[in-house]
Amino acid sequence: MVKLGIMSFAHMHAYGYAECMNRLDGVILAGIADDNTARGRKMARKFRTKFFNSYKALLDEDIDGVIITSENSRHREMVGMAASRKKHILCEKPLAISIKDAQAMIDICHANGVKLQTAFPCRFATPAIRAKSLINEGRLGKVLAINGTNHGKMPGGWFIDKKKAGGGAVMDHTVHVIDLMRWFLKQEVVEVYAEVDTRFHNIKTDDCGILTMEFNDGTFATLDPSWSRPAKSFPAWGDVTMEIVGIEGVLSLDIFNQKFSLFSEKEGKENWVNWGDNMDNGLVEDFVNMIEEEREPSITGYDGLKATEVTVAAYQSAKRKEPVRLPLE
Amino acid sequence: MVKRVGLVGCGTMGGFHANCLRQIPDCELAGIYDIAEEKRNKFANELKVMPYGSYNEMLQDEGIDIIDICLPTPLHKEYVLKAAERKKNIFCEKPIARNLEDGKMMVESCKSAGVKFMVGHVLRYFYEYAKAKEVIDSGGLGKIGIVRATRGGAFPHASNEWYADSQMSGGLVLDMIIHDFDFLRWCFGDVQRVYAKGMINKGYKFIDYALVTLRFKSGVIAHVEGTWALPGGFRTRLEVAGSKGLLNFDSKDSMPINIEVKGTGGGGGVAVPESPLKESPYLLELRHFVDCVINNKEPDITGKDALKALEISLAALKSIETGKPIVI
Repeated sequence: MVKLGIMSFAHMHAYGYAECMNRLDGVILAGIADDNTARGRKMARKFRTKFFNSYKALLDEDIDGVIITSENSRHREMVGMAASRKKHILCEKPLAISIKDAQAMIDICHANGVKLQTAFPCRFATPAIRAKSLINEGRLGKVLAINGTNHGKMPGGWFIDKKKAGGGAVMDHTVHVIDLMRWFLKQEVVEVYAEVDTRFHNIKTDDCGILTMEFNDGTFATLDPSWSRPAKSFPAWGDVTMEIVGIEGVLSLDIFNQKFSLFSEKEGKENWVNWGDNMDNGLVEDFVNMIEEEREPSITGYDGLKATEVTVAAYQSAKRKEPVRLPLE
Repeated sequence: MVKRVGLVGCGTMGGFHANCLRQIPDCELAGIYDIAEEKRNKFANELKVMPYGSYNEMLQDEGIDIIDICLPTPLHKEYVLKAAERKKNIFCEKPIARNLEDGKMMVESCKSAGVKFMVGHVLRYFYEYAKAKEVIDSGGLGKIGIVRATRGGAFPHASNEWYADSQMSGGLVLDMIIHDFDFLRWCFGDVQRVYAKGMINKGYKFIDYALVTLRFKSGVIAHVEGTWALPGGFRTRLEVAGSKGLLNFDSKDSMPINIEVKGTGGGGGVAVPESPLKESPYLLELRHFVDCVINNKEPDITGKDALKALEISLAALKSIETGKPIVI
């Protein structure tokens, strides 16, 4: 039996992970710590577990690992705390808001002999797994280009506070698809160009952009990470899509397209109801198995760092109005 | 007074145009010309229209008011200049030319000859695009942030595989997504900066694909995907996201007809979707031009518009070649 704790419910993905832990065999949600006491207590009640009013108190418990779902900028501090108390870590994306932070997190986990996994649940989305196998089987021939999107609604809260989030839409929505691209192609990004702006909302962070990447084998890709979905009327939170172009054919991946339309009189709008497999289950299960089997994480801290690097480069490129070469100094 | 049209080029687009010209009142398809004699005669027979023995013969026909040019891009300049010299009004397929110098010369020649000149940026007459512009202009979407467009299908095969010769066609960036560039410029004004990646001149035969980012002077960011990498079909998409709303369509979802007929022996039939309209966008653009000639009006799409669209395409090609953003 693997015992896990959750550090902070600042990121809404914590709900999904907590639900998975309660649903899955072989794992116990042993406690929740949150510096927002009211939120933490409420969540502990909701998920029928103990509340700890300090992270230290949670980490002093007999637990094997933690899931960190704090504000982006606090990942480094929380990973440091957990690693030094010898807990394995599943850290929410983006792993960090700077490459320096990401590297420090990797280093401290290594020094303490604990595993660091980056939470990229899209790798556990069944349609993404199928797409990867079709690509790696060679059905498309050599892949030449990818046109990707990770659209969303403007989340508000700390997500639009640069100090806490490290940026806006580009910080929030770049890493998922970059990670899928790296995973599919088994290549690294060598160059990033980006147009970034704030055009939809009256906020201080960016809310839209287009990134263009080149990989070391010459494959090129674009990604639209914009918070461009209208808050009240759009039928879903957003999307993750990739148009993958190969010599022999084209594959369109729309990860959340296992859905039906629900036209709600109560809400006065259409809603898309997803009926596909739950990707969070796969992520949490994989993390639990990693601890039990004492194996390396399937998505490493390095994977988290490389996705973060593209985000950082995108902001640099937008500012300089020219492409930025990777790896960054 | 009926305007008589001489159609040049008997390829796919020439066929489209011939069909449309015949539906326009006050307009007569007087004759056709194509440098390939066999193609020309076949076309003339099928359409029951007179083939001219040479372009000069067509131009010397005093009864011809309008020359409609449906030729590969690099030929546009020569045919337009000759027609302008003979004081013919000219409709020319897009893109206006392979380079800006040629394009400018064509626009100038038509201007000094005092003839009407219009380039076939037909997307402005496609119902869904025109309607989208109406919604944008009405303010229904609020301030526009990001626009995403897609256009493409299978690699086109035409006379002498001229599409595959990037020196001639400029690939899909110059030949096809110039439609989207013109439409976007029509909606959002002039472009400031272009960054693009593409497959042109990378040594792949019969594949082209490009992803282009446009930054407009108004601040709007547009992403245009062009593909000649699909096994078949033709698809367009447009998404316009603003502060108050989002508009999107995909041509594959706008097919009011889908017919599936069993193949011989009961199985193996194919599905054929259709989006029927009373009047095709090509008919609308040609009818507009004929109307401009008859009533001495300036065409909706000016020579300057055609040059500006060309400028965006050339900037995208230069960006692909150099790896740098190109400021216009």
